[in-house]
Amino acid sequence: MNYPIWEVPFIGGGMLIALVAIPHVFVSHFAIGGGFYLALTERLARKTGDSVMLEFVRSHSRFFILLVLVFGAVTGVGIWWTIALVNPTATSTLIHVFVWIWAIEWVFFLIELLAAILYYYGWDRLEPSVHMTIGWIYAVAAWLSLLMINGILTFMLTSGRWPETQNVLHGFFNPGMLPSLLIRSAVCVALAGLYALITGTLVRDDEARGRIVRWSAKWVIAGIAVLPFLGAWYVATLPPMAREISMGGAPAVTLFAAGSILFSILVVGGTLIGPYLFPRQTHVTYAFILAALGLFATGSTEWVREAVRKPFIIYDYMYSNTIRVRDFNQYSMTGLLANARWEVPREDERKDPVKLGRRVFRAQCMACHTVNGFNGIRFAVKGWDREFLDHQLLYLNQLKGYMPPFLGTDEERAALVEYLLSLNEPADATPDEKEEGGQ
Amino acid sequence: MPGLPAPDPAGLPAPIWLLKFLSVFTLTLHLVAMNFLVGGTIAMAIMSRRGKTDAVAARVRDTLARALPVTMSLTITLGVAPLLFVQVIYGQAFYASSVLMAWPWLAIIVLLLLAYYGLYACQFRPEWLGKHLNAVAWVSALFILLVGFLFSNNWTLMLTPKNWHTLYENSISGLALNLAERSLVPRYLHFMIGGLAVAGLGMLLLGRSTTRKDAEAGERLTSLGRKWFLAATGVQILVGLWFLFALDAPVRRYFVGGNMIDSSVLGLGILLTLISMVAVRRWPWLAAILTGATVFLMVVVRHRLRQIVLTPLLRVNDLPVNAQWGLFAVFAVVLVVGLCVVLWMVLVFARAGRSTAAADQPEAS
Repeated sequence: MNYPIWEVPFIGGGMLIALVAIPHVFVSHFAIGGGFYLALTERLARKTGDSVMLEFVRSHSRFFILLVLVFGAVTGVGIWWTIALVNPTATSTLIHVFVWIWAIEWVFFLIELLAAILYYYGWDRLEPSVHMTIGWIYAVAAWLSLLMINGILTFMLTSGRWPETQNVLHGFFNPGMLPSLLIRSAVCVALAGLYALITGTLVRDDEARGRIVRWSAKWVIAGIAVLPFLGAWYVATLPPMAREISMGGAPAVTLFAAGSILFSILVVGGTLIGPYLFPRQTHVTYAFILAALGLFATGSTEWVREAVRKPFIIYDYMYSNTIRVRDFNQYSMTGLLANARWEVPREDERKDPVKLGRRVFRAQCMACHTVNGFNGIRFAVKGWDREFLDHQLLYLNQLKGYMPPFLGTDEERAALVEYLLSLNEPADATPDEKEEGGQ
Repeated sequence: MPGLPAPDPAGLPAPIWLLKFLSVFTLTLHLVAMNFLVGGTIAMAIMSRRGKTDAVAARVRDTLARALPVTMSLTITLGVAPLLFVQVIYGQAFYASSVLMAWPWLAIIVLLLLAYYGLYACQFRPEWLGKHLNAVAWVSALFILLVGFLFSNNWTLMLTPKNWHTLYENSISGLALNLAERSLVPRYLHFMIGGLAVAGLGMLLLGRSTTRKDAEAGERLTSLGRKWFLAATGVQILVGLWFLFALDAPVRRYFVGGNMIDSSVLGLGILLTLISMVAVRRWPWLAAILTGATVFLMVVVRHRLRQIVLTPLLRVNDLPVNAQWGLFAVFAVVLVVGLCVVLWMVLVFARAGRSTAAADQPEAS
């Protein structure tokens, strides 16, 4: 409303964020767990005088920096880029409220980056004890950066007392913060093991490969084993509506939640019967399959976490369409378009309800809906008549709990009804929409 | 026509002077790294071609190839902080212009990712790339230059709110650029040529430290760096004038006598540049320090330019402040401790390098 709207064709803005965020999450959690894995595995190898294992840690560290420093770091910036384009108003809130938290995270990130570089380039150069210390510095700094970002992420779903007090500490130390931090830490451990299985299964020496693969498998199993308990704790902190959505309230979300559990079980089961019991026989293809299952588990979990936040983008403070809850009355009185800086109807649009309704749709609905693509509104309202549409809009938040209430005047609602009706009318009715194609 | 978007109701988390200082200071650090990345990648690409027939050039290429991925990491990481502060201070303008050019702006991420992997390939696997090494180096350089161009587009687009509505209504969603802006090209060139100059200085210093291990490559790099620094800085003065005259007259006036402080900062920057051109042959470290100071002063000028252009619409000095001093103190402590940790790591690494080099010495002789 305050900022221009970016129409992302076919997939919509939310899906675009997911496409950037899910690979990032999958790599960034490895970046954290992998730090501890490198430090502990190097220590184990040196303690036991295992030169093959030490050589493995060294080659794993190259794989590590190529994935973490490049893909992890750039996609991390990429998420920031994407959310600011898709939802500038919410991004602005997160930036303004948490600027010092971001700044602290940036310091940890800087340490993390330099430590990773010096760790990698220091293999032949540094004393073993100094090298391992730098490995530990990396791991701790990486985890501390998780500590920071996790507080902001959980704030969006479990905003706690912040909407009343506006106290940044209430926002950061919100109800979901601790369980989520522990869950993510456990996921980091599991992912460190999963990635190490890929490089570990490539070690040539049979005996050493057996040791390395089993050691890595233990990380996967240990990480996932604690998730059910932590998960139950986390779910208990969620707002009732979010719990309802994930447990049957919205079938698609429930399916993804089930998928998240199923994929996690497959990963842990697959690790147990494969690399843990038969470490020498495990092929790298198998390790890749486990990693792919891990990616699906991560992806579904993140998807559910995003989905259950509806109808808000920041719980109890800002709706998914970036309208602040406290502005509800103002919008109802003065109208939506009077407050939409960028959707200013031209004179001809004011006279044409369909065109006016399109403006209303862009300003209020497009944060979640496309016209023809993902979560496409044309399909959603197919077969609805004028009265039914109006009734749905009038009681939107009551009929569909995961949607915000319709905000605007009666005239704006009537215009939106006309626009939505026009989407499924015969071809000659709305030439404009034909041009819009898959948006 | 819509005005500028409303300010965020959360207010500024610290007084504006502190945010401005942090923004200018961290941007200076980012620009120094970015400059070396831009010029260094181009130099590496040139040396990749020459290296096919010239063994010394190939070793110069290797030296640069080893330094560039780390420089890319630093450029990105050091860029995060100024981007954070620009969103805090100028979010109203920044978010709007970014959304207008959403696709090109998002393309930066893809271009960076590809250029970054290209640089790592040039460092780690030159033998794999074989005859394509030269092409990969140039593609990385080109992508980095393109990223700079897209940045220049957004930084100028955010200064021209009067064009936004037309762009929003008339261009395909998220595909606008700011090509009609008169100052776009000189501004972009000003930054990229600055990159060549600073990278020249960086190569000069890198060459001097390489001389101990490889005299020929070190000397080649040193003299190449000096030439680049002098030539690029010479051109830079002309491009700088072009940039200055591409600004609207009322804005330009601030920097040419209309405002004593603004004009003095710009003048001092130019003076330091001229001194560093003289100093570079005998005292390269002095030239480096003076150039660092020049970058800082030019970032101040850049910041003032933005403020002057936006002031009729956006008075950042009047934005409400909702200071979070407690958290700022935590940040300050973390920053100091963090810098100590960084310093310790770099020092032990450098010291270990010297002892490794000393241990290598007798063997080599």
